[in-house]
Amino acid sequence: MMRSTYLIPALAVGLVTIAGAARAEELVVNSYGGPYEAIILERIIHPFEEKTGISVLYDPVGSSSQDYAKIKATKGRPGFDVVVMTASQSLDGCAEGLLEPFTPQAVPNLAHLNAAVSKMAGPCGAVHELQYMSLLWRTDKISGAQDSWALLSDPMLDGKIMLPTFQNIMAANLVQALSVMHGGDLLDNLDPGFAVMRDLAGRAYGFEQSSSIMENYLKDGQVWAMPFWNGRAQLLVDSGVPVDYVRPKEGTIPLVATLNVPSGAQNKDAALKFVDFFLSKQSQEAWVTGYKVGSARSDIEVPAEIRARQITTEADLNTLLLPDLGVTAARLPDWGKRWDREIVPAAKR
Amino acid sequence: MPAVPSRRRFPLGGYAPLVPPFAVLMLFFAVPMGMMIGISFQDSDTGAFSLDSYHRFFTEDLLVAGIIRTLVMSGLVALSVTVMAYPVAYFLARSTSRWRSVIFALAIAPELAGVVLRTYGWLIILEDGGFINDFLIWLGLISAPLPLAKNLFGVVVGLTHVILPFGVLALLTSIQGIDRNLEKSAQILGASRLAVLRHIVLPLSVPGIVSSLLIAFTMAASAYATPALLGGSRFKVLATMIYEQIMFYINWPLAAVMAIVLLILMLAFSYAGSKVESRLHKKLHV
Repeated sequence: MMRSTYLIPALAVGLVTIAGAARAEELVVNSYGGPYEAIILERIIHPFEEKTGISVLYDPVGSSSQDYAKIKATKGRPGFDVVVMTASQSLDGCAEGLLEPFTPQAVPNLAHLNAAVSKMAGPCGAVHELQYMSLLWRTDKISGAQDSWALLSDPMLDGKIMLPTFQNIMAANLVQALSVMHGGDLLDNLDPGFAVMRDLAGRAYGFEQSSSIMENYLKDGQVWAMPFWNGRAQLLVDSGVPVDYVRPKEGTIPLVATLNVPSGAQNKDAALKFVDFFLSKQSQEAWVTGYKVGSARSDIEVPAEIRARQITTEADLNTLLLPDLGVTAARLPDWGKRWDREIVPAAKR
Repeated sequence: MPAVPSRRRFPLGGYAPLVPPFAVLMLFFAVPMGMMIGISFQDSDTGAFSLDSYHRFFTEDLLVAGIIRTLVMSGLVALSVTVMAYPVAYFLARSTSRWRSVIFALAIAPELAGVVLRTYGWLIILEDGGFINDFLIWLGLISAPLPLAKNLFGVVVGLTHVILPFGVLALLTSIQGIDRNLEKSAQILGASRLAVLRHIVLPLSVPGIVSSLLIAFTMAASAYATPALLGGSRFKVLATMIYEQIMFYINWPLAAVMAIVLLILMLAFSYAGSKVESRLHKKLHV
């Protein structure tokens, strides 16, 4: 009797202690599924676990918009410790106190990132990856090398281009890039961009929100050219689809991907270690060569063929158009209304 | 004579089974609903009390157009579902054929596949390079693809397919409740099958028709995936606009206003439907 009297509480205390210890060593990382998941597990997460002994639970559910909505709905306690989002969401979440600000003491590798790109993401976003909006085309339908957004306006592509809907940030970015190309600017004068887009809308095969649906039309040959994030474009090239992509000479806008830690994350210390690990030179090299994207670290060493396509140097970064993302986010509703009034009626479907 | 047990011995006991569902509804419906109403009165930037989102919703033509589009789409789907479901339900209720169970299985088969899968199926059938357009072009009946997808037509077709089983079930229950002897009596007295259908079955199945219309209308009005995939860039309805405000513009107050308007519309149509049903009952003397 005495033995069981002491044994049960002792077991309970032991279990709670073990559970607590296991919990303290577990980090929940939320990101994407598909090829992304396989690459991040192999190149970043497993090496991190080996180095630190921290166990990572990978959660591939949800897009960055859905993840951010979850952070907002739970007031910074979404149930994951690190999340992959965008610079725009980093700025908004930081302003609302939903994301943890990073300091150079907690994340020393932040100091190695390009200052201009880091500034785009604000104090709560650690830029771990750069993509750019590329011009993607079918090489079996369009001959010769391409280097300009002007390809989209070529009469031979009537009914053969796919455009993003306004709910895909590429739409606003394309209007911005076209504005700069035709004498406007990134924020205050988008008239030239909207004018070109009106023309494109009337000649487009259609509009789609999802990148995966957009790429299906290109794969089956119904569409011959479109704007597309270069990371996915490279995956298409690697998979053998007859396509090629380029960073147009008129300039383009980057997709600044960030690591974020929600303000109510349960394993904040481990989360900060993970962010710092991802930004290290070795991890950035592994990520750039594995996922075929660019980096905000210009000191990384990667093969020449990857360097030629990705943003990896100061010179590459200087060719990008970098709009103020805070101002862009604030103006999106007005641009969206203008899109609905000017672009949607001009669209065939 | 045995004593009749008192039915008022435990006056509150009869409500006990209602406590769990009531608690669940309070926790997972009433509380979030209250929070949503609260959010709708917040300023999207500062969070302070504001009526701006309501003002914006009812004064911006693009948003009002979204309500009208939602009502037109839902009305067409409700009519289409009910008209298509009625013959199927009547057959299932009255037939003794051995094919009855097969037809019943086919009628509810659309529910066995996910809504996104079914919608993609329609996209493949209806789009420019889809089965129907390819077939019509192959026959030489048309030279260019018909606009079957990425518009109102495509959405109505897709939603009718998704919601049809619910219409069939609502009408089936109603028609099965009609006494068959009434139909037999009318036929013995010389009424044709059409007259029986027109003067006996149709009036008596009014509750089922109204249920089918209401179920289809409310399901269509709140549907997201089908309008998003089959509607295209030109066809925005309230459900897709709510998603857009939450996920893209991160404007939750405006999204909350839209959701509340959608809810009020559904409640108003349900109330109007029940009123119409009772009036028809009186008018038809059934």
